[in-house]
Amino acid sequence: MMKIIGAIIILATTSLGGMEIAKSFSERPKQLRQLKSALQSLEAEIMYGHTPLHEAARRLSEQLHQPLSTFFENFSQKLMTEETTVRDAWTTCLDDIWKRTAMKRPELEIMKQFGETLGRHDRASQQKQIMLTLTHIEREEQEARDHQLRYEKMFKSLGVLSGLLIVILLM
Amino acid sequence: MGLEVDIIFKIAGVGIVVAFLHTILDQVGKKEYAQWVTLFGFIYILFMVANIVDDLFQKIKSVFLFQG
Repeated sequence: MMKIIGAIIILATTSLGGMEIAKSFSERPKQLRQLKSALQSLEAEIMYGHTPLHEAARRLSEQLHQPLSTFFENFSQKLMTEETTVRDAWTTCLDDIWKRTAMKRPELEIMKQFGETLGRHDRASQQKQIMLTLTHIEREEQEARDHQLRYEKMFKSLGVLSGLLIVILLM
Repeated sequence: MGLEVDIIFKIAGVGIVVAFLHTILDQVGKKEYAQWVTLFGFIYILFMVANIVDDLFQKIKSVFLFQG
């Protein structure tokens, strides 16, 4: 009886682990899509709304889901309360939030590079920069979707099967 | 006799699971991992079989040869 309980616990643990890893693969494209729409909204705010950056960030934080909404909220707060440049605020906020997202290194670099240009040009060049960032992110999203197709199923079945293997070996 | 049947089932189980792992890893293009998994499964079963065969030889020795 104890043996069966232990076997079930091992199987459940490895299956859950596999599911968790698979989840990070399916979260990444989703969050990249959100990031894309966030940048498009930012472009709209800048081009057509003539909104100041902290105000635009605050509005974005209301429109978006977690974890990006926290990012824009922090960014807006930092811009209003602290003596800092836009670039520094952007970078520190990115670093703070990045651990909690499923996104990876390349997106972080793209966003940091975008932060370098933010608020330093006129509207037309700013729009061009946003367009450039959008194409980069689109490329990453494509790649993330490829990875999702390939690895999500693999990690799910890998979790279950490795659990099964351990149970059989220990029997 | 009960033990022997148990071990046969165990070998069959390991074989099936390792075959599945091999197929899945092969499908996503991780050929080298697939080969390693198969190799380790094979070695594990080889050790198990070696133990059983060792028992068999000891038994034969004790039946046909003088002990001590």
